[in-house]
Amino acid sequence: MDGLHVAVVERGEGALDVAAALEFVADPRFGGIASFIGRVRDHNVGRSVTGISYDLFVPLALNRFRAIGERALMEVGAPLKLWIAHAKGRLAIGDIAVVVAAGTPHRDEAFRACRLAIEAVKHEAPIWKQEHYVDGDSAWSEGCSLCEEDRAHTHAAHGHGH
Amino acid sequence: MKTRIALFGALREADASGAVELEVPAGSTIAELRELLVTHLAAHAPLVSAGLVRRCAFATDEEILHNHRPVPEGVALAVLPPVSGG
Repeated sequence: MDGLHVAVVERGEGALDVAAALEFVADPRFGGIASFIGRVRDHNVGRSVTGISYDLFVPLALNRFRAIGERALMEVGAPLKLWIAHAKGRLAIGDIAVVVAAGTPHRDEAFRACRLAIEAVKHEAPIWKQEHYVDGDSAWSEGCSLCEEDRAHTHAAHGHGH
Repeated sequence: MKTRIALFGALREADASGAVELEVPAGSTIAELRELLVTHLAAHAPLVSAGLVRRCAFATDEEILHNHRPVPEGVALAVLPPVSGG
């Protein structure tokens, strides 16, 4: 797919660039740009969080991001430029963890492409979140299984509010 | 054959090197590899729950390998706990 940018950015090497994402998906054909920016928040399930470490299996993550882009293009059925970037390493409160931006001719297509991409990144890409708490404790998030047998059992049972 | 399996997320804690190497009989499937890994971790990393390993997927750099797939020969694999990106 032309017009697709995928990246994993090591925290030590830089921050995710929202302006670059919006610039990348801009196009004279496009009247709509939708974006999603995920930032590290200071609490989860009643615990005070001081930061998050993201672990990624980078080659497969980039492959998944590209496949998500192809799927978004098919589903939207309109010209599309898409940016998917995720951070790796230890992030502090307020740091940007993920940026998705979609440019399309009209707003409905842009919103749909952006939503599809961020949901797929959260549920299908090999990325793991370890939360660090005020008391010094840390925990890996429970997450969403990529194992097909397990997905068949659990996807009906939970509503994907995460 | 020997198969190297890279560890991610909560499973990184199973081996400080970030990977385990298992002796896998030729012709094994991914489902059989999963059980070998459960047995290996029960012996070497008893704090890792077998339930977690059973919810893991296996993958190459390029794709996820489901249970019925044969373990590819001479290819490094990764074991992927349930994911939580974004």
